[in-house]
Amino acid sequence: MVRCMADVIQHPASAARAAGAAGSIQVTGLSHAYASGGGPMEALADIDFTVGTGRFVVIVGPSGCGKSSLLMMLAGLRQQTAGSILCGNRPVTGPDPDRIGVVFQDANLFPWLTALDNVAFPLALRRVKPAERRRRALDMLRMVGLENFAARHPHELSGGMRQRVSIARGLVQDPPVLLMDEPFAALDEQTRMTMGEELLRIWAATRKTVVFVTHSLQEAVFLADEVLVMSARPGRIIDRIEVDLPRPRTYAMMAELHFARLRDRIWQHIRSSHAL
Amino acid sequence: MTLPRLALPLLRLVLLCCVLLAWEILPRAGAIDSELVPPFTDVLRTLGTLLARPQLQTDLAVTALEIVVAFAIAVPFGAVLGLVIAESRYLSLVFDPLLFFLFSIPKSIFLPMFILTLGIGFWQKVGFGCFSSTLLVLLSAQAAVRSVQPEHLLIARTYGATPFQLVTRVYLPSMLPILLEAMRIAVIFTFTAVILAEMYASRSGIGHEIETWGENFMMRQLLAGVLLIAVAAIGMNEAIRRVEQWCGAWRT
Repeated sequence: MVRCMADVIQHPASAARAAGAAGSIQVTGLSHAYASGGGPMEALADIDFTVGTGRFVVIVGPSGCGKSSLLMMLAGLRQQTAGSILCGNRPVTGPDPDRIGVVFQDANLFPWLTALDNVAFPLALRRVKPAERRRRALDMLRMVGLENFAARHPHELSGGMRQRVSIARGLVQDPPVLLMDEPFAALDEQTRMTMGEELLRIWAATRKTVVFVTHSLQEAVFLADEVLVMSARPGRIIDRIEVDLPRPRTYAMMAELHFARLRDRIWQHIRSSHAL
Repeated sequence: MTLPRLALPLLRLVLLCCVLLAWEILPRAGAIDSELVPPFTDVLRTLGTLLARPQLQTDLAVTALEIVVAFAIAVPFGAVLGLVIAESRYLSLVFDPLLFFLFSIPKSIFLPMFILTLGIGFWQKVGFGCFSSTLLVLLSAQAAVRSVQPEHLLIARTYGATPFQLVTRVYLPSMLPILLEAMRIAVIFTFTAVILAEMYASRSGIGHEIETWGENFMMRQLLAGVLLIAVAAIGMNEAIRRVEQWCGAWRT
């Protein structure tokens, strides 16, 4: 309870929105341990945080800290051993494509479908009529700037384009929440930067609640409203940083002192957690 | 040196024409014994005569039916078994090495056993045809299942696919190219096995006719039969290959 109060004091407006809002996420006392050769291995320890509706939260941490596992649990694809996850005040027990869209590090598009059919896939699973799902899929492709590539197959698209199709697919059912697990990690730096700007543009237009996992400190500060810094295994949240840079964010901001200070603060925390 | 697009098929056609021309001229010129290798046009004419005969038409129909029935039994049977074994880790561990050894045994040595148990009628040929291709279909079905990528299953699960939808929307499309290729090769194996069984001991079928012509040194008819079967086999193979290509265009 103390944590929730602390959150309310920190950001009263968003907490008020968060209570009862469809796109909010509340994680309480989440821990995860799994059995291994040398006994139970603690992967995540006592994670608490709240994400208000429409907020862009980035989770950053060293490799192996469990941030991807955490995201899988938020998506309902993995069960935690202790603690609860609420999305829109309802517990997350399994995949919930109506409320939660997921974008993984690899686009994982079906090679036998066109870009349009890949985006329409979640709708096809829901038995939406073909004309309707084509229309909605095309709208999503338009939003990510790929309407001219609707008839192409994934092998004809570049890595960045495939990831954009994957984002379109995650948004096609208009879920209030979008979870992204290092979606730009497999792309080159220039594409990453372009995609980062694209993503913020889409987010500003759709106002989804976004939880974005990365291990790039620069990306974290550039994209986020709030950065949750995780320690090395067992993953805990060791810092919460409110990024008060103005929006819309531009890459010019990266040259500012404030940006560098925020980035450095994250780095110091991660470094010290390594030393433990 | 880069060749224009049409050059390659043209080259192949020219090559074929050269071979046929040689087949025509050399026996007539006496360079090859025309009793052993009759000229091409003679063979063609004989083929025409043969095809007009009802007896031969019956033989062809019998062989075709044997192949179709053997195929229709072997494919579902082999595919289901292959899927079951591939999906079970335990069964895979037990059976994989055994199946691999079985596959390396030449199937033709079992033909006398089939004759002893099933006689020389229709079902013996179907049985032997099945036997020759089931194992191949089984192994291919296993490979097809193992080729389904777990990441694709993850995506389907994330978007709420039911187990049935997993099968129809992820497993089947993923497996289709490998299964089609397996079916193409299974047709070849079945075809070969049925003709072999007919040649060895049979009272009907085109294989039996070929064996008879060979024994009686009826070279025109023999070569005509060989030509006919070669064209039929190539035609079947190509047809399935086209389907494969069309379905598997995404496989780069």
